[in-house]
Amino acid sequence: MKLPRSAVIVGGNRTPFVKAGGAYAQASNLDLLTAALDGLAARFGLAGRRLDEVAGGAVLKHSADFNLTREAVLGSALDPTTPAVDLQQACGTGLETVLYVANKIALGQADSGIGAGVDSASDAPITVTDGLRRALLAANRAKTLPQRLQALARIRPHHLLPIAPQVVEPRTGLSMGEHQAATTASWGITRAAQDELALASHQNLAAAWDAGFFDDLVTAYHGVTRDGLLRADTSAEKLAALKPVFGGTEGTMTAGNSTALTDGAAAVLLAEQSWAKANGLPALARIVDAQVAAIDHTSGDDLLLAPAHAVARLLERQGMQLGDFTFYELHEAFASTVLATLAAWESAQFCGDRLGLSKPLGSIERAKLNVHGSSLAAGHPFAATGGRIVASLAKALHTEGSGARGLVSICAAGGQGVVAILEAV
Amino acid sequence: MEVRELATVPAMGPLFAKALLPGFGHGPARIPSHTVRLSQVSQDLERLADYDRVCGFTVRDTVPPTWLHVLTFPLHVLLLSDPESTIRLAGVVHVSNQMQLHRPVRATEVLDISVRVTNLRPHQRGALLDLIGEVRVGDELVWDGVSTYLAPGAKVDGEPVVVERAANQSSTPIAQWRLPADLGRQYRRVSGDPNPIHTHLLAARAFGFARPLIHGMWTHARLLAAIEAKLPDRYRVEVSFTKPILLPAKVGAWWRSTGDHWDAAVTTIDGTKPHLIANIQVG
Repeated sequence: MKLPRSAVIVGGNRTPFVKAGGAYAQASNLDLLTAALDGLAARFGLAGRRLDEVAGGAVLKHSADFNLTREAVLGSALDPTTPAVDLQQACGTGLETVLYVANKIALGQADSGIGAGVDSASDAPITVTDGLRRALLAANRAKTLPQRLQALARIRPHHLLPIAPQVVEPRTGLSMGEHQAATTASWGITRAAQDELALASHQNLAAAWDAGFFDDLVTAYHGVTRDGLLRADTSAEKLAALKPVFGGTEGTMTAGNSTALTDGAAAVLLAEQSWAKANGLPALARIVDAQVAAIDHTSGDDLLLAPAHAVARLLERQGMQLGDFTFYELHEAFASTVLATLAAWESAQFCGDRLGLSKPLGSIERAKLNVHGSSLAAGHPFAATGGRIVASLAKALHTEGSGARGLVSICAAGGQGVVAILEAV
Repeated sequence: MEVRELATVPAMGPLFAKALLPGFGHGPARIPSHTVRLSQVSQDLERLADYDRVCGFTVRDTVPPTWLHVLTFPLHVLLLSDPESTIRLAGVVHVSNQMQLHRPVRATEVLDISVRVTNLRPHQRGALLDLIGEVRVGDELVWDGVSTYLAPGAKVDGEPVVVERAANQSSTPIAQWRLPADLGRQYRRVSGDPNPIHTHLLAARAFGFARPLIHGMWTHARLLAAIEAKLPDRYRVEVSFTKPILLPAKVGAWWRSTGDHWDAAVTTIDGTKPHLIANIQVG
């Protein structure tokens, strides 16, 4: 399919990512998103300029932040007449904001825009119990004082306890880690393989920092200049010593091969290709195509394997093979998520029964996977991960030279997955 | 057969107190032969929404079939506190239940509800009896249900019927549910069933349970709620209550469909022992 116009990635900017409750404990989603936008504006001379739209989002969001992205724009160096929209698709949010802007550019509805995402697990909204909420809402609706008192009289002491947000699938009651533990076991993903992937993530991210790869992708924030979760000195032995946190005592998933709760924000500048040129902006890579898919974990499907389906549909539409890419960016929600996805693509049974293919999609070269590190080492501020990946991949592809292609794959809560193809300009 | 028309929904509190009194004498067990009926019942939309929330259903224009069972329940209590019944609700055990939804029932539909008690039969531990509920809209039967209770110690002539236990299938739980300690109170609020065994420690202990247990019909409803979007307009569901759930609790659940048939269960958290086994037949 030929798109009417070409949407290119001009560049990106993010804050360093840090562990929740750490250096950004006092920063809100709005603060972090504003910082990411300001850094992007500074990098590309966007101060005082009106862009066609900024799309942003957060997964853990206060109801007071109903217009989070618009408020961030108003607090940023961008022209205040730049419009904004909030999107949300769990961990797919960041990539979806990029696709939203890219699609508008491709269709001629916009020439320039930003796709962004932020999450602060430190600033997560605490909610009140259902009992208190319903009583307060009823009191609010009441027309007379006795009615109001009657409604308030329904409040019980235990209603007053606060409720912190949980990463639990509402329809199964299982946490994401518990879901993934079942997937890990059923695909027979070993502890050693998971730790190996985690180690590679830290080593790759550390090497990229040392090589200055992130110098034009990250802006220091709140005294932090590097990703705080990165353990450049970790080793196979250190990772092997960690106790399992999911899957019981016999489990293979540890704090070392699972992502930690993280704070951070990321933003990606997109533009129509000739508009970028006319405005003296670089063009790193264009968005070729994208696909979203979902599985039914409420019937027992593997919660985080929807990207395996999305990639199959995307390759089919593009007439491409799984091996046709220079780089692969598979979001490391857990090391075993990446490994189970790779195993699924290699499985004749999965590809036949679930994807309807006559032969497996095949293997990928591990040396091309997450070459600048991924979420295990960088951390995973849910909605910011898409922007981190897209900007890093676009830069890496551009360095490879025109025509180099990269595949992005991100799994999300609710049994969803969003994937995209980028191509170096 | 005699039908006694009721003017209003019987108040369950006083009836229940009566139903808690021991049955009469040592003679053979007797059950009432008449049907009780409530006509032109409007559904309480606010209570329905509350019921939906407590059980996990989406609040829709159509009602869950277990809600219709809840509407018949006061008539169960009435029949088992009738002078013609030697069997009292106190101490009877709800062993199994089946219900058939003949078509989607809207929350705004006005219902005729009737219940009769039948099929008193011997059992190794006493007697079994069925409470048959029917819900009509005008002349159209939209729902019917059979609640089978065991009355321990009740005497009925004849050979004890062998009750086939539902096949003991097992499967890894797909879901896990946390049942809070106050769930019994929440379900009492929406079901109207005042049985203190679900809400009070001492009452539970009096019946030999260490803690209050959640109502079996909540567990039934919660399981249907988990697959509500996958169920068709018409189906028949049969459940066996195999092991009570003491509150608070963390339990597992699984479900699986093979064409027109569903197998499902609510189990211990590790999936080894079923609390409730369900079969659903579509169509």
